[in-house]
Amino acid sequence: MSASQSAVRSRAEAVQVSRTFDWMILFTLFTAVLGGYHIHYMLTGGDWDFWTDWKDRRLWVTVAPIVSITFPAAVQACLWWRYRLPVGATISVVALMIGEWINRYLNFWGWTYFPVNICFPSNLLPGAIVLDVILMLGNSMTLTAVVGGLAYGLLFYPGNWPVIAPLHVPVEYNGMMMTLADLQGYHYVRTGTPEYIRMVEKGTLRTFGKDVAPVSAFFSGFVSIIIYFLWHFFGRWFAKTDFIADDNL
Amino acid sequence: MKIKDKVAKLSFVALLITMTAAMFYAPTASAHGEKSQAAFMRMRTIHWFDLHWSKEEVAVNDTMTLNGKFLVFAGWPETVDKPEVSFLNIGIPGPVFIRAGSWIGGQLVPRSVSLELGETYEFKVLLKARRPGDWHVHSMMNVQGGGPIIGPGKWVTITGSMADFVNPVTTLTGQTIDLENYALDNVYFWHAVWFAIAFAWLLFWIKRPMFVPRHIAVSTGKANSLISAGDKKVGMAFALGTIVIVAASMGSTNEKYPVTTPLQAGLLRGMKTFQMPEATVSVKVDDATYRVPGRAMQMTLTMTNNGDSAVRLGEFNTAGVRFLDPAVHEDDTNYPDDLLAEEGLTVSDNSPLAPGETRTVEVTASDAAWEVYRLADLIYDPDSRFAGLLFFWDAKGARQLVTVDAPLIPTFI
Ligand SMILES: [Cu+2]
Repeated sequence: MSASQSAVRSRAEAVQVSRTFDWMILFTLFTAVLGGYHIHYMLTGGDWDFWTDWKDRRLWVTVAPIVSITFPAAVQACLWWRYRLPVGATISVVALMIGEWINRYLNFWGWTYFPVNICFPSNLLPGAIVLDVILMLGNSMTLTAVVGGLAYGLLFYPGNWPVIAPLHVPVEYNGMMMTLADLQGYHYVRTGTPEYIRMVEKGTLRTFGKDVAPVSAFFSGFVSIIIYFLWHFFGRWFAKTDFIADDNL
Repeated sequence: MKIKDKVAKLSFVALLITMTAAMFYAPTASAHGEKSQAAFMRMRTIHWFDLHWSKEEVAVNDTMTLNGKFLVFAGWPETVDKPEVSFLNIGIPGPVFIRAGSWIGGQLVPRSVSLELGETYEFKVLLKARRPGDWHVHSMMNVQGGGPIIGPGKWVTITGSMADFVNPVTTLTGQTIDLENYALDNVYFWHAVWFAIAFAWLLFWIKRPMFVPRHIAVSTGKANSLISAGDKKVGMAFALGTIVIVAASMGSTNEKYPVTTPLQAGLLRGMKTFQMPEATVSVKVDDATYRVPGRAMQMTLTMTNNGDSAVRLGEFNTAGVRFLDPAVHEDDTNYPDDLLAEEGLTVSDNSPLAPGETRTVEVTASDAAWEVYRLADLIYDPDSRFAGLLFFWDAKGARQLVTVDAPLIPTFI
């Protein structure tokens, strides 16, 4: 308290300084999360997020939520327990997706000329919003991890289906059946990404017949729960070395 | 405190750097790795020959082909994974052409294939021009565990404007769409919808004073006063709204696209091989040296003709560089100049080798291409062997192919 009282002369001025501070922290948080989260997601989710012919019902559905619940969990831990702000997950995912859109639009399309309809990012927003609301309503890390983590995994595939479905319409191409997404991957040549490194439709869930997406989504949700706990702890630990170093504030 | 500040500062700088790095990531578009690829990789893995680029200039939306044959070298190096999972690619800088089709032995190969050592295959790649410019078009084979094996390249010019490019495809449900921008509005629409909802949620919280007063409230034990009953109601509305929109949009999507299939993947096996005429000439490499100052390779070959017509050696082909003896064979396929040594092959005695005859000859293959294409770097390889294809012709023009594979000794004087 003493620091802020000595620096300003009136209450109005204190409010103004505090608001300026809000924007500075928000901006710093946003860009830092954007950078860290973006590179993390590129290294772990990478090609599954880059290309439509990697967005399958098994591995994409499983991998994307698991590797993307990380930063939301950590930022939530910081913003909720320190400030009771239930926006950690949404802020993280908005930052990530803005970064991704800039990268995909300027580099994938603008620089390398891949059509945007093959390299758009996955939609992670529905899960993030639900994750924030569950933390706000429950005020509990365990509840958010279990219910929120599961919901985050489950909402991913249906949340992306309206965007992906048109690309899963089948075509017959020179005597072979494939989806439009497969055809995009074949047409728009990637010299650095040969077909065999594409990891799609592989796994041991064959016994579930054609309903693999829900099973993959459940599996992803369960693993997301564990990852949530882990990164929530990271976030809490990281939040200790606070931006505001003065613990008496 | 000072160390803490420094760490904080450094980690912030690191974050900014990673952020910048992430922003500038673009998929590899370059296809000009051909010269930097180890010489033994180019000489002892896939031998490309009979290559033909159908055009040197092509307008946007028009097509051209690159076709030819490749021999999967029997003496495949130990250090490179066998081509059990391979993908016939095309070496171009990104999607300047689209790959409208690719075939091995007449079979469409949009997926990876299994190749057999020692076999020859016929291939064809159909390209449709998309982006104007001068592009180096290479044949290319990706081998799992071995990396890209880049074949010969030729400059092709695309004329016109990319704005005119169309990519019509007819689906199994009967619609004809333009894959170049198909479903793009739909992508933008749904992302805009979700960004709008997310921003509304953020705005609901960001519009009120945030960090300092809320931190004070939390640290003085008044955390619960920060979330009102109204806030909880709004939160509930956002969560339920999200779930309802996800469910509804999924339902309407399924109605709009009743027929969808999973992505298709899987290895193609049993590719049809190309049967070259049985070689009746046998060749033994007695020794081979590379003369560094002369940019020339010299081999002593003992050749025996076991066939019934006389033959002459007309071409030595290694890593796509072709050394010809013009007295025997001349190129009429418009092969790239930099890879063609039209008079690069000299044979000490190249008179027809009669049936039953055995002869030992000195063969010299010399051209600047040894240096330009860094094939001479071979002599610095741990296992400095060279390999290549020898082509013989008889008087009627019948051709036969013999592979050679032997150690190479450099001479520096
Ligand atoms: Cu090139």
